[in-house]
Order: sequence, then structure tokens, then C-alpha cells
Amino acid sequence: MSAVQARNLDKANLIVVPYRRVSAAALITNVVLVLLGGFFVLPMLWMVFASVDSNPDWAIRLPTLTFANFADVIGTAGALTAFRSSLILAGTTTVITTVIAVLAAYPLSRLHIPFKRAFMLAILFASGLPVSMLIVPVYQMYVYFGWLDSLYTTALFLAASSLPFAIWLMKNFIDAVPVELEHAAAIDGASTFRILRQLVLPLTLPGIAVTAIYTFINAWGAFVIPFVLNSNPGDQVGPIEIYNFMGSHGLFKFGDLAVFSLLFSLPVILLYLFMSRYFSGAFSFSGAVRG
Amino acid sequence: MQSHVKFEGVHKLFGAETAVEDLNLTVEAGEFLVLVGPSGCGKTTTLRMLAGLERPSYGRILIGEKLVNNVPPRFRDVAMVFQSYALYPHMNVYDNLAFGMRARGAARNLVDERVKETAEVLGLGQLLKRRPSELSGGQRQRVALGRALIRQPQVFLMDEPLSNLDAGLRVQMRAELSRLHDRFRVTTMYVTHDQVEAMTMGDRIAVMNQGRLQQVDVPETLYDSPANHFVAGFIGSPRMNFVRGQITTLDGKRAVRFLGVKAPLSTSSRLTSDVSDGAVTVGIRPEDLMWRPAAGPDSVVTLDAEVDVVEPMGHEAYVTALCAGETVTSRFPPRSGVRTRERVELALNPARLHLFDTQSGDSILQRPAATSAEALRSMREAWIEGSSAASNREHRAPGVPAQSEEKLIDGR
Repeated sequence: MSAVQARNLDKANLIVVPYRRVSAAALITNVVLVLLGGFFVLPMLWMVFASVDSNPDWAIRLPTLTFANFADVIGTAGALTAFRSSLILAGTTTVITTVIAVLAAYPLSRLHIPFKRAFMLAILFASGLPVSMLIVPVYQMYVYFGWLDSLYTTALFLAASSLPFAIWLMKNFIDAVPVELEHAAAIDGASTFRILRQLVLPLTLPGIAVTAIYTFINAWGAFVIPFVLNSNPGDQVGPIEIYNFMGSHGLFKFGDLAVFSLLFSLPVILLYLFMSRYFSGAFSFSGAVRG
Repeated sequence: MQSHVKFEGVHKLFGAETAVEDLNLTVEAGEFLVLVGPSGCGKTTTLRMLAGLERPSYGRILIGEKLVNNVPPRFRDVAMVFQSYALYPHMNVYDNLAFGMRARGAARNLVDERVKETAEVLGLGQLLKRRPSELSGGQRQRVALGRALIRQPQVFLMDEPLSNLDAGLRVQMRAELSRLHDRFRVTTMYVTHDQVEAMTMGDRIAVMNQGRLQQVDVPETLYDSPANHFVAGFIGSPRMNFVRGQITTLDGKRAVRFLGVKAPLSTSSRLTSDVSDGAVTVGIRPEDLMWRPAAGPDSVVTLDAEVDVVEPMGHEAYVTALCAGETVTSRFPPRSGVRTRERVELALNPARLHLFDTQSGDSILQRPAATSAEALRSMREAWIEGSSAASNREHRAPGVPAQSEEKLIDGR
């Protein structure tokens, strides 16, 4: 059979598929997605409704509008302290993690290091370890050093636990910067410090931002580590304060819980939005190498 | 401020791989030396060792009188143009050009002055505010060049700087690079795999293969008297024909038998080594194997051949023909009218033969110089067509001082 014949045969057998607005597959996919989405949206919806309801409980229902819950939460000293504590803990963790991650990732990306592959795999493995597995020996260590009950020392362990993933993330961002740029700068007469400051840092800024934001969000929501390592009632972080709302103070204040959760998730939501913006307008290397 | 560059017994090993083996090479002050060879021959490694991006495993590298083996790149006072340009993507053209001077702590007004001058020389004056991503390939190439020029280094290093440009732009930039070198006379080491770039731009050409330096010479000598089989095959397009031959005698004189004919060796040439069984490899450049009707009076040997493929190039045609069981390529005049399967007569000037040792590949025929300078000149003109600036450029001996007193900046 010649090619021409084959083509004609194809034409004859061509089935015209009528354009249908809704196909079965698309319908099923969308229904499943809506159901899944519902599971995520419902608690949020409860949070929003309950926060402005004058008489909230477990149920999701249209609220009888009031802002008394907001006034109540913002008015109590505990909420503001929790915010401040969370900010200190997450902020310190973020600074420590990001600085160390950049400094560790740079040589891992650029230099020939013996057993680098094994080392990178060890880091990847470490980033998968559950924190609860380590918490008992770490607690012992903190007792020994007398580090308990401080936000800053707690941040130290939080930083240690978030470092593996941050290093891995950062290394990939640095890998993306063509090494020829650094060679060009070195031949141009730039010192290592100048190369870092004027080339590597500006070119990996989006990566540094992503690493920092990611670390911050994780530290902001951390529960187990601050719960175990910091029992100082004066500077409890947000997640633990939320936990305390749930009955340990005796009565269950749904409205306050909802308001607190809502306020506490705001920074995370804002940072996610910021991060996605950063990526959509991401810096490109175009023009650096190749034509 | 011009410095010569010296490689003394330089080796570079990557694990068990030898990238460069026992390199001894001097680039004279102010010379434009082209390092040419196929991919993986060690030419880029050589350049990177000179830049300080690689450290030689053995041997010494000197810039001027200074041993630089352990000198980091930033203290070597060399400038490099990368194949990929390696422009700083987050800086505009001005900052890209200024980077090197600022890194060396030059005063702000001096930087400004030099950036403007360099931009002027390279026609970048209107583009100073643009980022590299907003430039065309040719403009990026100019910025990369400017970044090297502005520094007035002792040595320029260029790593295939033209290979990312399209053909027309490449010819134009080739001429421009030659012009810039004529003007500033900075010692230059230029790496390329393109033998046309090598022939048209180099004061001298160094041919490398498999980590070893094969031959260093001015383009004409390299073309006329290749030191070995590799250089003969690498330099020249279309490639030199290689056929089996046998040393014999003809009328009591030394002669060589090949392709079914006997050709006398010219009396002025001599064999540099004896071949035990008389077997040699005969090299014939396609332009020395002409169509009988177009051949000159010196082409006394005639061969019968059957045309296999005709490749018209416009100003000439390459004809691949079968001759005594071997395939040979010949340069025909345009519109010769020969067709595939046609029987033709090829004419050969025996004075233009090359003989190589079949085993070692070394050239064993020494010929008097300048037998074919005229033919070569016409070839070079054919190559550098379209770049008028390069075509009237004459060969310079290495070390000749700058003809042009015009300088971008005063010497330091």
C-alpha cells in the first residue's frame, strides 16, 4: 500500500467527533475536584462565619453579625503576646536557616567535594525525618545545656530541623546560575566576596526569598517543637495558644478560636500570595548565556 | 604592556584522562595566536589554564616573565571572551562594561570615560541602558568583547567567541576582531574549531589534536607544509585527498606511484626520512587536482577519473571522482558542465604533492618554501569574501609593533 493510498484511507475513516460542551470524563473530574475542594473550604468557611457570629458553635451557618469576638481576642493580652512570640520564633528561625542554607548550598553547588552525592542524599534523607522522632533526645540535650523555655534557643532547633530542606532548595537555585558568570567575574578581577555580593546574591534573590518564606511559614505553624521546648507561659506561640482555646481554659470559646485562627493564618496567606507574585515575575537569566 | 605567554611542558590530567600533554608553546607579545583543533583536543583546557580557571597538573605557565601557575584569575591581568558571552543578566550594558574596572577600584569618572569610549568603538553607544536580554546576539557579542577591551589587559583570551552567531554576522565580526587587534595589538589567544577563522585571523596558528600540539606556524606555512597527516587533513576545505602511494624511480629520479600514475618528485624537494618498504600516504589538495581543460602548464600528470558527485558552490564546484579505485575530490571551475558518471581527465602538478609516513603520519617530504603562495592567496580571498576589511589585510610577522598609534586609552 502506497503512502498516498494510506492517506486516502485515513481520510475515509476519519470520524468527526461532535463538539460537546460537557463530556463524561470532564464531569466526573470536576465533581471529584469540587468535593475535594469542599473538604478544604468547609473548615475555612466555619472559621470565617464563626468569627463574626454572636453565638457560634460547631455548626456552619450564616452568622448573626457581631465583631465582639474580634474585640475580645485583640483585647486580651494573650493574643498579642502569642503573635509577638510567633513572630520572634519564626523570624529567628528564618534568619538562621536562610543564612546557613545559602552559605552551605553555595559550595555544595560549586565546588568539587568528596562524597558530595552521598552527602546530598544524607541531607535529603534528613529532611524527611519526622521531628517527633528526635524530640526526646533533643529535650534531654536542652535540659543539659539549660536551653529550655526560651524562644531563641527553640528557634535554634527549629532552624536545624528546617535546614536540610532549605539547603536542598537553595542548592538548586544556585545551580541554575551559570557558573561561567562567576568565571567571567573572577577574570574581571572580582574577589570571591564581590562575586557573592554582586552576582550570586542578586541572581538567586528569588530563590532566597522562596527559601525564607517557606521556612517562615513552617516555623509559624510549628507546634511540637515549641510545645516541648518552650513551656514559659509568658511567651507561648500562636499554634499553642489555639490549642489552649480548645477547652483547657475550661469553656470552649468558638468565636474567639475562629477569630484567632483567622488572624493567625493571615500572614501565611499573604506570604503565599507574595511568593506566587515573585514567581510570576521571576527573574530570568535570558541574555546571560547563549544567543 | 604587551606580554608574551609561555607554556613550558604543561600537562593537564582529569583523573585518568589526559586533556593536554606536554604543551610547549609561546605566544609572542602583541601576537594573535589561534589555537585550533577538533572537539575535545584540549584547546579550551589550555585557554582555561591560561585564564587560571584550571590549574596545570605539571609544567609552567608564564605571562611576561611572571610564573602564574598559582596566581588566581583576578590577579593575572587577562581578559576573556566566553563562547556563551557570560554577560551579567541583572546589569545593563553600562554596568557590564564597568564591572571589571570597578572590581579593580577604578575612579568613577575614569570608569565613565572608558565605558563611553569602549561603547563608541564597538557601536554600543545607544544600548548602554539595556539589559543583555534586550540585545541581539551580535550586540551581546560586542558587549562581551567590550568587557574584555575596556580593561586593557596584558592578554586577551577568546573561547570560540563567534560560534553562536549566524553566518553573516560571523564574517562581519571576524573582520571586526581583526581590525580591533590591528588597532590595540594586545597579545591574544583565540580558540576555535573553525579552520576558516584560524586561517583568516591568526598571525600564527597552533593546531592541537588529542591533547598534543601538532604544529605551530603562520597560516601559509601550515597550509603549504603541514607537519603531519592530521594537520594536512584538518586545515583546508575541502579536505586534502589522501591516497596510498609507493616510492619508486622514474628515469633514474625519485618518483612516487599512486592512482595508477607515476609522478617525479621535484628536484628541489627531498625526503626527510627513508621509508623501508616504500609505502607512503600521498596527499593532494583538491585545488591541485584540476580539470584538465582548466589546468596550467605545470600540471604535467594526467589521471583518468569517473565523476561521482558534482557540488556546485557558485564560484567553483567540488567534484568527487573515482580514480584507480580511490575517491578523490577536485576543485573545478564553475559551469564546467561535467555530470555524474562522465569520464574526465584530471591534471596534477607533481611539485604540489604531500607525502606522509603511512605509520606515523609525519610528513616526509620537505619542499622549498613559497611554491604556492599565489594559489594560497586566492584561496584566502575566496574564504574571506564579504569582509572587505579582512581581505586587504596582509600577513604580519609576530612581534611587529602596532602600525596604528591610535589607542583607546594610554598605556599604564
